[in-house]
Amino acid sequence: MLQKTGLLALLLMVLEWTRPGLPSPLRPICDLRVLNHFIKEARDAEDAMKSCREGCSLSESVTVPQTTVDFEIWENKNGSEQAQEVQSGLYLLQQALSLLRASVTNTALHSHIDNSLRNLLSINAVLRSLNIQEYTPPASVAELEGTWRVSTATDLLQVHVNFLRGKVQLLLLDAKACQQDVS
Amino acid sequence: MKCAHLSRLVAVWGILCAVWKASIVQGARDFEKKVSMLLREEPQNPKCFAEGRKDFTCFWEEDEERAGSVDQYSFTYTYQKENSSTCPLRALPASGGKRLFVCRLNRTQMFVQMDIQVHRLGTLIHNRSLLIELFFLLDPPANVTVSRTGQRDQVNVSWVPPPLKYMDDSMMYEVSYTTDDDSHLGQVEVVRASSELILRGLQPDKKYKIRVRVKLDGISYNGYWSAWSDPVTMETLPAELDALITCLTLIISFILVVLSLSMLLSHRRFVIKKVWPTIPTPDSKFRGLFTVYGGDFQEWLGQTNGGAWLTPAFFYSEECPSPLEVLSELSPCPPLPPKTSRAPTTGSAEHEAVKPASDDREPLESGDSAQTQRWRAAPHDSWLMDRLRALQQNPELCSQSSLLESQDAYVTLSANDHTGDHHLAGVLEEALPLQALFASRKTQALCESHSDLGSVQQSSGSGRLSSQSSFEYPGQVWMPKGPGYAYMAVADSGVSMDYSPMSRADDFGKLVIYANEIPAHRRAFSSRHNPIHDV
Repeated sequence: MLQKTGLLALLLMVLEWTRPGLPSPLRPICDLRVLNHFIKEARDAEDAMKSCREGCSLSESVTVPQTTVDFEIWENKNGSEQAQEVQSGLYLLQQALSLLRASVTNTALHSHIDNSLRNLLSINAVLRSLNIQEYTPPASVAELEGTWRVSTATDLLQVHVNFLRGKVQLLLLDAKACQQDVS
Repeated sequence: MKCAHLSRLVAVWGILCAVWKASIVQGARDFEKKVSMLLREEPQNPKCFAEGRKDFTCFWEEDEERAGSVDQYSFTYTYQKENSSTCPLRALPASGGKRLFVCRLNRTQMFVQMDIQVHRLGTLIHNRSLLIELFFLLDPPANVTVSRTGQRDQVNVSWVPPPLKYMDDSMMYEVSYTTDDDSHLGQVEVVRASSELILRGLQPDKKYKIRVRVKLDGISYNGYWSAWSDPVTMETLPAELDALITCLTLIISFILVVLSLSMLLSHRRFVIKKVWPTIPTPDSKFRGLFTVYGGDFQEWLGQTNGGAWLTPAFFYSEECPSPLEVLSELSPCPPLPPKTSRAPTTGSAEHEAVKPASDDREPLESGDSAQTQRWRAAPHDSWLMDRLRALQQNPELCSQSSLLESQDAYVTLSANDHTGDHHLAGVLEEALPLQALFASRKTQALCESHSDLGSVQQSSGSGRLSSQSSFEYPGQVWMPKGPGYAYMAVADSGVSMDYSPMSRADDFGKLVIYANEIPAHRRAFSSRHNPIHDV
């Protein structure tokens, strides 16, 4: 039995190595219905958290991205700035939600939080498909600008929803890879 | 020159002012519409809405009597994690003795919570927390155009969405279309993220009013339904028979007509026979009667002389019964003893007639040499006469017995058969009642048709008379009523001559005298039997 699994693992590793080095370019995901789906699930999590009474609190304060969008300011930023802002925010949210997952004891909320974490990873994949550079997280979170500190779970999930609806969506709408398809 | 320049400048400035004022007036009207709509729909105070990506308007309403001046009120708003700010207020008169206090922001932050507080003289009167991107109240779609498509029951509606960047995909539209009669509520179609729609299933030849309104879909952005756009009227085309159905109907009807015509033509004889039945005429049997002599029977008889009329084929036709047929169902009449003593008393007249007739017969027979083979001089002629006389004396006896007992019988009064005498006797016995009947007429009648009677008797004696009668009694007994009446109950199975008086005896069945082979000069007698037979 162990020998069989070992052989299987070896086979997979060999196949992984023999794979072509450069990954094939991903097709750009421009359909915003994907993001709408994530937003809906994030709202469901926020609603579930609002109705929670016990076992749904953050153990400590977390750093979250600012969700504020001033269109005049936003439009003055270039694409890379916008992308950087979005990717750092996504990173922060991932950290915060992981902490929330560990803090919350309510099992119903666990599924929502897990869903949200999976969706954040999917958004990263969407950004990669739009040829947005990979984000390298900073060594320290404190160095980041445009962040807030939240101490409650509801605030965290609200920030999560607002961030997706605002900056992430605006970035995807403005993505040049998608705009080339649009006439 | 300068004056012209100045005047042009003044004109341009005037136009611009007019346009600006018009837009302001229009904007004011739109604002009033929105305010009135929000006053109806939004319960919370202050009522806030965003018209674009960067503006935000809040207002509340107060009664004129209780409202203070604008300075008494303060409108403060605070974004999350930020310091609060104040918004300058302005007061506007409203209908119904009310006053509006309006705050308008020209720069907003979305996707962040905003806390609003309204104070009057330091007292908090209104408090609200909201996200601006969830309170859009847009202008109705502009340039709503309706155009016809290729189909009769469809129209294409298109419009220009509100000019909001990033939000085109988040917009939701409602298209309402109603007919003039308003028999039912207007139907509504919902469209998402598209600025045109094809309306289907419209009624033909109707005027439709079409209008559109817009709202954000609620996922990323949200808001109130906008006001309806100005209605656009479109008249649908009138209904028309489908060309395909018309063609098919024509083709099928044409095929049916052709089929019916061909059927009629193929069976035209049958149809004509049914519709216009041919009246049978005896023209074929009497050659030349109608064509040459114009129906004059006397002349025709005289001309044809019997001989030409009696063709061999005619004579030997199937109509000529065989003695076997004739005597099939008859019970023989008991032979009557000839009573010669009586003969002179009753049949004196006929007797005399017979004699000369018999004398006449000889030359006739000799004359008809060609017919002699058919007209046999019966050796029993004298015997026949005796029988006749006997019957005359005893008409009831034989007639009754024979008539009562005979059913479906042929009676041949002629020697026109080729068999032996015993058959003939049987035949003659049957013929006797007939003769008796003939003889039982009144003497007056006898005298009237004296010559004819004589001719009949002669012919019976000579055997020329070959009248064939069949007695037919449909199960009933036919009671002759004695010598005073002459009855003839016969049935025929071939060409026949009906005697109308005898039709009264229809109660007994079909009564017919079949006088087929009577010689031409004897035929007149047969035809004159009508007045003789009194029933």
